[in-house]
Amino acid sequence: MTTQTIERTTPRLPWGRWSIRGAALTYLAVFLVLPLIVVVVDGLGAGVESITSVVSSPIARHAIWLTIWTGLVMALINAVMGLLTAFVLVRYEFPGKTLLNAVVDLPFAIPTLVTGVMLVILYGPQAAIGSWLDQHLGWKVIFAPSGIILALLFTSFPFVVRSVQPVLINLDRSSEEAAATLGAPAWQIFWRVTLPALMPALVSGTLLSFARAIGEFGAIVVVAGNIPLRSQTAAIYVYGEIESGSQRNASAMSLVMLAIALGTMTLVDWLSRRRQEVQP
Amino acid sequence: MSIVLDQLTKRYEQHAVVNKVALQIHDAEFFVLLGPSGSGKSTILRMIAGLAPVDTGRIVLHGRDVTDLNPQARDVGFVFQNYALFEHMTVAENVEFALRIRKVERKQRSERRDQLLELVGLAGLGKRLPRQLSGGQQQRVALARALAHNPAVLLLDEPFGALDAKIRTDLRRNLRSIQRELGITTIFVTHDQEEAFELADRLGVMNMGRLLEVGTPNELYQRPQTEFVATFLGSANVLLGQCNDVGVQVGSMTFPLQTSSTAEQHPAVQVVIRPEDVVLAKTEAALRSPSLGQATVETQTFVGAFERIRLRLPALPDVHSIAPVRPFGEHAILIDALRNPDEARNLPIHSGDQLWIGVRRLHALSQRGLNVLMISDSQPVAETALNIGGNLARLAHARATVVARDGNEAGLRTRIQAVREQLGAGLPHLQTRLSTTSLIETVRRETEHEPCDIVVLGTEARNAERDATQLLSVAQQHVLLVPPTAKACSKALICLSDGEPSKEDVAFAGRLLGSVGASATLISVATQTNDIDRLERFLQSSAASLRRHEVVTDSKVLVGNIAQTINAEIKRGGYDLVIVGAPLGAYSSNYDLGSVVGPLLSQLSVPVLIIRSSYLQPMPERLALNVLETVA
Repeated sequence: MTTQTIERTTPRLPWGRWSIRGAALTYLAVFLVLPLIVVVVDGLGAGVESITSVVSSPIARHAIWLTIWTGLVMALINAVMGLLTAFVLVRYEFPGKTLLNAVVDLPFAIPTLVTGVMLVILYGPQAAIGSWLDQHLGWKVIFAPSGIILALLFTSFPFVVRSVQPVLINLDRSSEEAAATLGAPAWQIFWRVTLPALMPALVSGTLLSFARAIGEFGAIVVVAGNIPLRSQTAAIYVYGEIESGSQRNASAMSLVMLAIALGTMTLVDWLSRRRQEVQP
Repeated sequence: MSIVLDQLTKRYEQHAVVNKVALQIHDAEFFVLLGPSGSGKSTILRMIAGLAPVDTGRIVLHGRDVTDLNPQARDVGFVFQNYALFEHMTVAENVEFALRIRKVERKQRSERRDQLLELVGLAGLGKRLPRQLSGGQQQRVALARALAHNPAVLLLDEPFGALDAKIRTDLRRNLRSIQRELGITTIFVTHDQEEAFELADRLGVMNMGRLLEVGTPNELYQRPQTEFVATFLGSANVLLGQCNDVGVQVGSMTFPLQTSSTAEQHPAVQVVIRPEDVVLAKTEAALRSPSLGQATVETQTFVGAFERIRLRLPALPDVHSIAPVRPFGEHAILIDALRNPDEARNLPIHSGDQLWIGVRRLHALSQRGLNVLMISDSQPVAETALNIGGNLARLAHARATVVARDGNEAGLRTRIQAVREQLGAGLPHLQTRLSTTSLIETVRRETEHEPCDIVVLGTEARNAERDATQLLSVAQQHVLLVPPTAKACSKALICLSDGEPSKEDVAFAGRLLGSVGASATLISVATQTNDIDRLERFLQSSAASLRRHEVVTDSKVLVGNIAQTINAEIKRGGYDLVIVGAPLGAYSSNYDLGSVVGPLLSQLSVPVLIIRSSYLQPMPERLALNVLETVA
């Protein structure tokens, strides 16, 4: 049905039609698909066994696992805090609301390397907060997984807020009001009525932030350094392998990261499709 | 009483969207709140449910004051226009929601759910999701859900507004029978007159935040008290006739009063003639009803089972037409008639035909709506006057006419456009016109077209006396002079001298201030100390009559020179409106504003309302309670 509408509204001239499509498709092929193909071919160049052998090395395994679990922890925290932020931005009035709304997008605009530098200044061993945490709680932030999570939280913050916010704005208050007249206390209204309505957006925002976290490099390399078996994530492992000339190993690890990211994106796509079907 | 609303008021910014609504609804009654969109009916419903906070007033449900309770504690069922179902829950889960919250056991829950789904005719559809149902079915689910916890009161906010005509009719019958079966007190909000008539035991008509009238559909259709209700419920011909001791006179027709009248002169009265009560015939004799005159057929349309005819009747002495609206400067009266097919067959008519118009039955309105005429000239103060006058008209639910004069035509048109934007949204009935003639001529022509109660004019203190004299010399209206410093009208000073005319000043002031919601201080100035007792008694009785209009009132007698004392009191008391009676007769053409009003106007700092005592005659009280009927 959608395609029919599109065809009817596109120019009738075959030349115009094909040139526009051609331009878009060529662009996609050259800039997106070609690099993907190359890395896949290169990664699989020496057969599937070479990938498993690369990936089964302790250093690589640790890097993959570190990437996944820090990403998951971040995504979970981000889901809760992003939901909270979106709620505050949509439902409450307070001075500086417009400013806060603008600040939410800041992590997208700041180079991730700069993010890393900011975190090091804040939590580094010489910094007030960092040394206090280290001395009193024995909690090291820099060159440790907590640093990675902090960096990821900063860079991925907008995803959940920006996917929940529009849904919350358009959410019809009357079903919440209906629940109130039926006797539901405020927390039950949130739990039983509001949250289920936000769920698809919340989940897809969370997954997007996870997918984004898999490939994060700049912030992590500054905050966590490049210590194998301790703070080396998959992306930094790839960088290290390229530096040391093992392009094969880099390609193999890239394939693993691609698989995780693509898998997550497919899930997001499927979820949003399902959401569209739900809304007539 | 199941539901009692006591002086319920809700404001958004300064604007009262619900204005002192008082209403009592009986047990098991089906009550319909009817009004155009924006009239405040939905807001009332939301306040009863606790979904909108109340500014002032009380809500009592089954003897329990719930004004400050949250929605959860009010025990109401609410049905929304957009269904507001929980989309992620099945129909069954939706219906069981209230029971689940109340931790009712599973078995009882499912029994109640099946019973409710059966009641609304959706048995067996419990496993569906709301989106798998049609709009009508979804609203049935919403109804079942709202009834699940056996609420004391059922509130429905335009529940069938989004559905098409056929389904609406079905759902209406269904709802009515369910309501009868359960005996649940119900308020149903709608803007659809047909729906209201079909469903209501009683209905209340709202406009601009006010509950204008309450009654059975039949009462309100046959005997409306206000022009708005008369024209909102079905169509109506509204004419301004005269009320005298014989009855109500419209042109040459006189309809006897069923009660005796005490009216001495000729107070104007609005009469309603329903189109179906208009008789048409070739000759006057064939009418067999009192005759209004001979008219020309303008248009003729078929509306389903009926034929609608618009006729043009030449002007009649002392008769003014209010509805249907006619173009300005048109002296003829437009009359709408409705005929059934039988009548149409017996007397086929075509446009241009000359026919006699008779009236089977007419009804006189007890509350003649106020009509405010505002004159906007090129002075800067005109803007202030428009604000003050427009606000009065809005609060008093008055018809308003704004005439722009004093300027070139293009300028006047821009000014009219600005006036429309400024006042248009808030007024029940606004007309705008241009005039290029003098002030007196403008007012004369306007009041000839349609008599008004108050003329509002912005003016400076130095011109006030001249303007007042001019305005009082034409026609028969009161005059409100607004100085540039005017802000609002919320605290009035009423200056009285004793005697009969003053009673009428008080009656009019009470009606106006009551609808505006202003407070009042009554003063009388004694020149000799031995007058004080007498004046105090007089003020007491006047204050009592103001309180009947729900005006917060106090009173005092002052001693001294009248003009000086009043001026001093104005400065002292912080009043923003002064009301004085004009010492005038009815039809004389030269006025001397005398020793009181003249000096007052020369120091004009707040709006002054000059009341023409002889104009406003009290309506015979029981007139409205009786339908005036003659049958040949």
